[in-house]
Amino acid sequence: MSGSIEVRGLSRTFHTTVRRPGFLGAVRSLVNPERVAKHAVTDISFEVQPGELLALLGPNGAGKSTTIKMLTGILTPTAGEARVVGTVPYEERERNARNIGAVFGQRTQLWWDLPVRESFAILRDIYDVPADEHASRLREFDDLLDLSSFWDTRVRHLSLGQRVRSDLAAALLHDPPVVFLDEPTIGMDVVVKEQVREFLRYQVEERGRTVLLTTHDMTEVERLAERVVLINHGRLVLDGTLDEIRRKFGSTWQVRATLADGHAPVEPWPGVVLVRRDGPQVVFGPDGPAAPTVHQALKQVIERYEVTDIALDEAELEDVMRAAYVQAGDMAADMAGDVAGDVAAQAPARTQGG
Amino acid sequence: MAMPSALRAWRAARVTPLGELHTPPRMTAALLRLTVQVVLVASLWRGLYAATGTTAGLDREQAVTYAVLAVLATRVRELDQYSGRDTVLQHMHFGTIVYWYLRPLPPQRYYALRALGEQIYGFAWAIVGYAVCVAAGVVQPPKSAAVAGVFMVSLLLGQWVLYYIMLAIDQLCFFTLRNGAAMLILIFAQNLLSGVYAPLWFFPDWFITLSSFLPFQATLSVPLSLHVGRIQLSDAGTQLAIQAAWVVVLALLTRLVWRRAALRVISQGG
Ligand SMILES: Nc1ncnc2c1ncn2[C@@H]1O[C@H](COP(=O)(O)OP(=O)(O)OP(=O)(O)O)[C@@H](O)[C@H]1O
Ligand SMILES: [Mg+2]
Repeated sequence: MSGSIEVRGLSRTFHTTVRRPGFLGAVRSLVNPERVAKHAVTDISFEVQPGELLALLGPNGAGKSTTIKMLTGILTPTAGEARVVGTVPYEERERNARNIGAVFGQRTQLWWDLPVRESFAILRDIYDVPADEHASRLREFDDLLDLSSFWDTRVRHLSLGQRVRSDLAAALLHDPPVVFLDEPTIGMDVVVKEQVREFLRYQVEERGRTVLLTTHDMTEVERLAERVVLINHGRLVLDGTLDEIRRKFGSTWQVRATLADGHAPVEPWPGVVLVRRDGPQVVFGPDGPAAPTVHQALKQVIERYEVTDIALDEAELEDVMRAAYVQAGDMAADMAGDVAGDVAAQAPARTQGG
Repeated sequence: MAMPSALRAWRAARVTPLGELHTPPRMTAALLRLTVQVVLVASLWRGLYAATGTTAGLDREQAVTYAVLAVLATRVRELDQYSGRDTVLQHMHFGTIVYWYLRPLPPQRYYALRALGEQIYGFAWAIVGYAVCVAAGVVQPPKSAAVAGVFMVSLLLGQWVLYYIMLAIDQLCFFTLRNGAAMLILIFAQNLLSGVYAPLWFFPDWFITLSSFLPFQATLSVPLSLHVGRIQLSDAGTQLAIQAAWVVVLALLTRLVWRRAALRVISQGG
């Protein structure tokens, strides 16, 4: 078992100084700083296979960016281990740098005063990419991201969408097998988002790159990811397919059917309840954790009853995720229950202020 | 396995000059400012010397030459990094510093390459300015080929010291994000103590003594004094040795800080 990305028991605790309110508080903080430990990521394990796209999901502050920072080597974990293409990223940062590309949301790595193409050329030199390879890769990226319409413009004059597309291209110019994207499509319009998704799909399917993506855009997840890892309060709560998440948290589907025989007896079956009956109109809903997906339920209804009309209401992934985040929060809190006592008690020797 | 070395990474040196070349208005402004400064400084010092022959061991021609060379020399590292969002302070502020640690080129080497490109570019400006000023008779050329040679060596060492001083100021940004004020004070001190505002020879003795314990005068005061002959060739050896010593001391110091800076970034995650 050696995926492109292997994460075992990864944890990261930040130690910060609490600022007390008010003037006296400020003085007290100076004299006797109160330190708290913040467990941003706790005991996370997962694997991403070569050529797989995994979405790392979770509400704000869940620990997604912290996880990605450890995998890119710019943050050292307090416990656990990570390997990216066999390299421990925070121990061999330079070697890791050749294997990965990274885009951090709204932070650009391009040079503000230079035209995009000059930025690309400087990255080509830094990564030592042969000129012909660089040129052909640029052509490929241009086809998918339409870069040439603005690549002679200086970065400071680019629109957000143009800039992020340039940043995506910049991150992939050295042909890295693994790509980390922390909210890459934040603030983009729908057309550009679709273009970026197309680009990512191409990079995964045609180029075989491994992609780890975080996003708050559920459409994106639906279009791109087969597998997701859900974290909350720094803990992994689910590692599975979108269908599994739907089954687990998406308890809001309904199947509405019109029966051919309005007086036929209707009984619920395991995993499915009868929500409402009004003559020939019946509405089924999911029941418990073993409930079938909406598509399975649809099939089951048709098999059991003679229907003249059938329709389904499926919860939007967004609703599913809302339910998942809320429930996952409770689950993470339960898991943390045994160790909750030490959160505030630790008084580490080193502080890291601001 | 050894890392394949990035053979062409040195070309990152072109970042800042390219940025300048792509912004012609900035170059025009720089040219204008430089011209005005040279003219003003030259007439100021001529005016100051209207009634005296020699002060602080400098005669009129020496003083004017010194002052104009100081203006030209500041051009060497006075590029508009700020508007290019390329200062360490800004990278820390915007969080883009993480990309420095995500490349196969170590941040300290990237920083050095960029500074080198900047200094070479600025040097080109200074040389053209120098040639024009000599031709116009504003600046007196060195007295002999030996003086010229020693001046070149001393100028090179001075720029090297200056590089480390600027680096040290930038490195502060890794540890405090609110050092805009500290930066301004340091830059003022650097200009004052290196003799940009006025040759150090004009300051009181205690000031000169104090300054001799600091690295600042090694950047400009020493090479310019050699150029105008205020430091004799016979003393040049000592001065060059002191400059070289500062290069070594500051190199070791900033190297240490780079290590702490990396720790800072990888413990905070940028
Ligand atoms: N350098 C730091 N010092 C102290 N606490 C930090 C630091 N970086 C992150 N944290 C804390 O760790 C937790 C996880 O942060 P992280 O940025 O990983 O969340 P996220 O999942 O990326 O959230 P978002 O969706 O908002 O981007 C947060 O509570 C955050 O406040
Ligand atoms: Mg984040």
